Amino acid sequence: MVRSLIHLPDEILHLILCYSSPQSCAAVEQTNSRFQNVTNERLLWRHHCQSHYKFWDGRHDMPQKLARPVNSTDWKALFVFKYQVDRSVSRLLDSILGSQTGRIEKCRRVINMGYDTKDTLLRYSMVDSGEDYLARRYYAHALLTCLHRSIAIPEWAKLKRGEPVSLDRALACFDLFISESGTGDLDEIRDSLDKILDRFVASHPDLYLFTPREKALAIASWLALNDLTGINPDREYHSLEHNFLGLALKDPGHNSLPLVSAAIYCFIAQGVGLNARPCGFPFHVHVIITPELGSDINGNALGGMEPGERFYLDPFRGARETAVSNLRSQLTFLGMSNVEDQIATLGEASTSGVVLRCGKNILNSIRVEPQNPTSRAASIDVVSAKYAALWSVMLLSGDSRPMDLRHQLPWLMELFATDFPSDIFLVEQYIAPLFHGLFEHEHILERLHVMRAADEIPKQIRGRTGGNANIQYRVGQVFRHRRYHYEAIITGWDSECGAGEQWMRRMGIDRLEAGRHQSFYHVLVADRSVRYVAEENIGIILPRFTELPKSLTAIAVI
Amino acid sequence: MSSITLTSSDGVDISVERTTAERSVLIKNMLEDLGDSGEAIPIPNVNEAVLKKVIEWCEHHKHDPPSASDDDDNRRKTTDIDEWDQKFMQVDQEMLFEIILAANYLDIKALLDVGCKTVANMIKGKSPEEIRKTFNIQNDFTSEEEDQIRRENEWAEDR
Repeated sequence: MVRSLIHLPDEILHLILCYSSPQSCAAVEQTNSRFQNVTNERLLWRHHCQSHYKFWDGRHDMPQKLARPVNSTDWKALFVFKYQVDRSVSRLLDSILGSQTGRIEKCRRVINMGYDTKDTLLRYSMVDSGEDYLARRYYAHALLTCLHRSIAIPEWAKLKRGEPVSLDRALACFDLFISESGTGDLDEIRDSLDKILDRFVASHPDLYLFTPREKALAIASWLALNDLTGINPDREYHSLEHNFLGLALKDPGHNSLPLVSAAIYCFIAQGVGLNARPCGFPFHVHVIITPELGSDINGNALGGMEPGERFYLDPFRGARETAVSNLRSQLTFLGMSNVEDQIATLGEASTSGVVLRCGKNILNSIRVEPQNPTSRAASIDVVSAKYAALWSVMLLSGDSRPMDLRHQLPWLMELFATDFPSDIFLVEQYIAPLFHGLFEHEHILERLHVMRAADEIPKQIRGRTGGNANIQYRVGQVFRHRRYHYEAIITGWDSECGAGEQWMRRMGIDRLEAGRHQSFYHVLVADRSVRYVAEENIGIILPRFTELPKSLTAIAVI
Repeated sequence: MSSITLTSSDGVDISVERTTAERSVLIKNMLEDLGDSGEAIPIPNVNEAVLKKVIEWCEHHKHDPPSASDDDDNRRKTTDIDEWDQKFMQVDQEMLFEIILAANYLDIKALLDVGCKTVANMIKGKSPEEIRKTFNIQNDFTSEEEDQIRRENEWAEDR
């Protein structure tokens, strides 16, 4: 008997289709009715869903779908949906690369498709071939980080509105701003905390016998023993990465500032039934354990409705109770003598308070760290970290302190405009309303309007003919400054110095050999600054791509 | 080095090293159940030509480590086929399908995978019409059915 594809049993056809692309499966379906069943098998399409795409928007509820019997989900429809998102994102990205106009709207359309776009963006952010691959990478990465921020910022906005957000989620939002953290969604951090909780519970089989005090101390000493809290003595305390919960959990050394250590502690403590919350003590976040109503921290029954004494400890330093009297006297020493104020300071900190403090810690780390350049081993992109901190401060400073907002606004707007312009809709939605009724409101709207308008206007093309024929160098060439020796990329040119008279006088342009009537170039320097350089100072170099300073290649856009 | 005898569906006895034959989980289990009686093991579903081909593959792969995991997803991750296997699979379609069926029957997962990957590679990048041609498949759809099914699969058309 002559065997043909058509005679193979379904189980083998299934295996062949699993090795085939989804497009091939669709093609096989169209050849003969024999293949109708096997090419529409739900198991096959679940396989394609899982092997082609890793990141699914929360509304698909993938973990649930995967746990249910395979036939309860139309996996083919789900695959086709995701594939169409994939293609739409690809087309939009092509269009963003293809034209300089309308990029804002195109970016917004990508982000509006939500987390389902992530697989596609991730793929393009790693392409290493094609004539426009650097630009493709750049925009895919910009969109990917924008996608992450568009998950983080609404969480903080929820906090601002007074809606509940768990502490771990609220802190994980900072990680979403920095790609070095590798954190892609808020559940990842929850998962790693859950694993730590499981480990703790597994190593304490007799936990149910513990009094609350014993539990509280056992957690602190176990976390310290496993190096999950605190900072190694050989590390710089103010290192930027110590501010990020996700980084602390992922890094083998798990170094974290007291605030983050306290958050880790509270998660574990709450997991074993303790009422643990961070306390916003100045300089050093502590943890407060409040005993259950009707008993004290040692598990003894209390009469009446009087709550038991709170128990303070400092997981950053280890497993010791911190006496309240000690904390009080420190406050008095700091000049806070009013008992009411002291009681408020020693109370539980709200989640938004902790986030705000974390944001301020980050700004502080950025201020302090440059003085300790050796500690920059795990380099975090300072710009992204600062941007995260500014957002948290803007959103959570509270309406009672408009001065804080006013103070930070220019910094945020500056960073947004130079480094994160795809966030325009986030600024519109979340920053502008903060200034409602203040004069800044108009300014913000005006600025956004200008950005949008500029985005809609086709860029003028200047030819190299006629008056411009004397331009010697080209956009994209790399050079070393003949006098100051920095390396930079040419991004634009003028046939003669186009800067104002004052600038030329200040810079002594007429003292140059060829004076002001030579070509001048707009350049992007490795330190991200933008300068204007006379042709005579340009010494073209031809480095290999890998020899270029990383700071240059990271910002290179074709 | 002990050897055993297999009898093909067309009644031909083939002598084969035991470790080679044990690439087949079916034969391995039979040998364990039967003990080493020295009797020929009948392989009623596989003819001589195919059985020889399968043994050739088992011979070449007899020292392969047992597949690291039976996890289906791991196995299906890659459609790469190693060079020797590619050459081995350069046979006519009928033989290819026979090898696949034999591998399935004899329970030789790695060979079954190589066979299926080979077919998948033959399908790759082809339009429905090209697939029909390659595998000599009759189009049995009415033109309305064909239209409908094409519409349902429009999503997969080239970018």
